[in-house]
Amino acid sequence: MAAAAELRLLEKSLGLKPGNKYSAQGERQVPVLQTNNGPSLMGLSTIATHLVKEANKEHLLGSTAEEKALVQQWLEFRITRVDGHSSKEDTQTLLKDLNSYLEDKVYLAGHNTTLADILLYYGLHRFIVDLTVQEKEKYLNVSRWFCHIQHYPDIRQHLSSVVFIKNRLYANSH
Amino acid sequence: MGFGDLKTPAGLQVLNDYLADKSYIEGYVPSQADVAVFEAISGPPPADLCHALRWYNHIKSYEKEKASLPGVKKSLGKYGPVSVADTTGSGAADAKDDDDIDLFGSDDEEESEDAKRLREERLAQYESKKAKKPAVVAKSSILLDVKPWDDETDMTKLEECVRSIQADGLVWGSSKLVPVGYGIKKLQIQCVVEDDKVGTDMLEEQITAFEDYVQSMDVAAFNKI
Repeated sequence: MAAAAELRLLEKSLGLKPGNKYSAQGERQVPVLQTNNGPSLMGLSTIATHLVKEANKEHLLGSTAEEKALVQQWLEFRITRVDGHSSKEDTQTLLKDLNSYLEDKVYLAGHNTTLADILLYYGLHRFIVDLTVQEKEKYLNVSRWFCHIQHYPDIRQHLSSVVFIKNRLYANSH
Repeated sequence: MGFGDLKTPAGLQVLNDYLADKSYIEGYVPSQADVAVFEAISGPPPADLCHALRWYNHIKSYEKEKASLPGVKKSLGKYGPVSVADTTGSGAADAKDDDDIDLFGSDDEEESEDAKRLREERLAQYESKKAKKPAVVAKSSILLDVKPWDDETDMTKLEECVRSIQADGLVWGSSKLVPVGYGIKKLQIQCVVEDDKVGTDMLEEQITAFEDYVQSMDVAAFNKI
């Protein structure tokens, strides 16, 4: 989805009033936020971090120094690895790496939902929605994490709910 | 229901399988269900049970807040997959030998009579409200392809064998023969299952057990009802 639409989703999930003006700049359509005072902000992670602080929900940026660093790393991952590719093989590699990472974690950073989980959910939605049942089971940890995040209604909002079947169909693949 | 004895490797394996696609025991936030199961485990699960270990480390981080987590704590046998027998009662003797550190243990505090009565009153209210709500049974419609060995296999007999499989929560529907090639036909048969009782693994095992007739079985379609 377009960056501006996603940032409006984020605004809503943070409880901020709509009204910010977004535009896109350059060949890669980098989002730009025109603020009321001072210079405009560029880039998804910059604007997202700004919105979180404006909403007084800094716990979404991590509770400890390590968690803060992890959140920033995942925002960078989101821009470079999720948004920055187009082929099917890249999607498979992406999901495989994420599946390995999530094997021993409930959330991406720390023990609570962070901005990393929210933006990765928005970024991955278009891929997860097209996965086959077999692929969803192949990337079981990603499916578990995604299914978990999409059950927060203020995060999902109007995005379609992806169905994850309870019974295992391909039992030998895990 | 239940996980079996969670102090044994078999019980931990059940827990691990249960948590493969879930973050918590119930719902999407940590609750008293997680506290109850956590207290039944004697220590961190081994590394090869990665789902159980992930859950354990996560719940451990809520140690300070265990009392304030939502939900009502029930007996251990009320949590977990339906198909596992509840053996928590028979584990009472073993529990006496257990001297592991109880991470959620706390000193007993004297409870005022009013607070006690109020809590029991609320528990009763919650229990009666819970009992009223009918449990929604999750069902699926499955279309199976059953393939014979060759074109001389008696397909009528094959279908009889398939339909002879009976289980609680399994209902067979219509069927037809679909040509595959070279005169061979496969049986395409519909069935409706209750998700908690019947799985495709079980169906595959039982259908392919008819070795004289069945070469293999596939799931052609799987739809939630």
